[in-house]
Amino acid sequence: MDRKLIRPRAIEEALREREKYGRDALPIAGGQSLLVLLRNKLVDPQFLLDLQTLAELEGMKSRDGGLAIGAMTTIHTLASSRTIQTMMPVLAQGASKVGSTAIRNMGTIGGNLCHNEPGADLPPVLLALNAVAELRSSKGSRKIPLRKFFHNYFETVVTPEELVCSIEVPALPRGASGVYLKHAISSEDLAIAGVAVVLVPDEKRTGVVREARIALGGVAPVPLRAIKAEAVVSGAELNDETIRGVAEIAASEADPMTDPHGSAEYRTKMVKVLVRRAITAAAAQRNGNGKA
Amino acid sequence: MAKLNLHINGDEVEVEAKESALLLDVLRQNLEMTGTKRGCETSHCGACTVLLDGMAVHSCVVLAARCEGKEISTVEGLSEGGELSQLQRQFLKHGALQCGYCTPGMLMAATALLHRNPHPSLEEIKNGLDGNLCRCTGYTGIFEAIQACAQAKNG
Repeated sequence: MDRKLIRPRAIEEALREREKYGRDALPIAGGQSLLVLLRNKLVDPQFLLDLQTLAELEGMKSRDGGLAIGAMTTIHTLASSRTIQTMMPVLAQGASKVGSTAIRNMGTIGGNLCHNEPGADLPPVLLALNAVAELRSSKGSRKIPLRKFFHNYFETVVTPEELVCSIEVPALPRGASGVYLKHAISSEDLAIAGVAVVLVPDEKRTGVVREARIALGGVAPVPLRAIKAEAVVSGAELNDETIRGVAEIAASEADPMTDPHGSAEYRTKMVKVLVRRAITAAAAQRNGNGKA
Repeated sequence: MAKLNLHINGDEVEVEAKESALLLDVLRQNLEMTGTKRGCETSHCGACTVLLDGMAVHSCVVLAARCEGKEISTVEGLSEGGELSQLQRQFLKHGALQCGYCTPGMLMAATALLHRNPHPSLEEIKNGLDGNLCRCTGYTGIFEAIQACAQAKNG
């Protein structure tokens, strides 16, 4: 592997290199997936654009009551940060399910999203949190809600001139609760199916959900929000029957593939199981005054 | 080729390597430090685990160039003056290895775990070793060896 490594010292320099090299230089974030792709010769760029040297892409800041998380923030940081554990525990919970300890120590939030591997844990969690990616190029910047960020298996809307610089995660509405459930054979595997649920209670009517967000990972070419199922929960009173019905609808919104880890049929069934469990758990958390 | 200045087990090491060389290759091939094992090379098995500033990483998915300015710890650095570390002694005592191929990675992952959490529960030990596979021991001896270290630190 005799590839040149470009090591920019500032974000502006990185964006100029991005403009200059386009597809010939692949940005490397944590490298936990990219270095495996390179080894297996699934990608073969001339250059690697190292983002590790860019301190401005690390760490998180408060923004409009929520958080702006630098793209190079490690998954370990997401899982262990007191700020995230307090403000949006579901993100810390989802992050703790990514790969293994060693992978979380190096892997980053930006890399995880840009790689867009089916079964990745962070995409459904961040979709359920209504996160927005901030993309920059040397010509300017744009903000893309994650719902419009993923394009196809391993593809996103990020162009060869752009870099994802930060992920904005809005604060959760008052009283909201959230859960991420992952089904995998071994804990360090990608999810055969992953489901993130955020429930926002109706403050005037006990037991009624004002807003439900249900995100599915690993069961379609892109992680997605189960919008039909969400519409049914929103404004509804939660009981076993409604939850079962909603899980059924969510499963019908999945469009899974068959691969050695599980058939399409199995994945669809697991969506149903996980959505039911996740909504039940999120509702229970809410009753216990938990926070998402 | 690039010249890298690495800090390995307390020593300054200058090494010539390909610009995008992996840490695993630099350790094993350029520096002939073969304690760190080559396993799956896809970040699953953990045989290549080393510590970077005290944190466990899989050296098969780390660029060596990124390790400049960081402290790299490998299994070769665990013993002191020919004396095995307490963790290594407990591995022997509890039969925590059979073929031994996963052992360097297990030792490094366990070292990182005990450093950040000197008294891990069994559950925490299992989580701390979630990136390391062993195909012989069934893990029991490994868990016991780490628990023995945790208990020794109590007293």
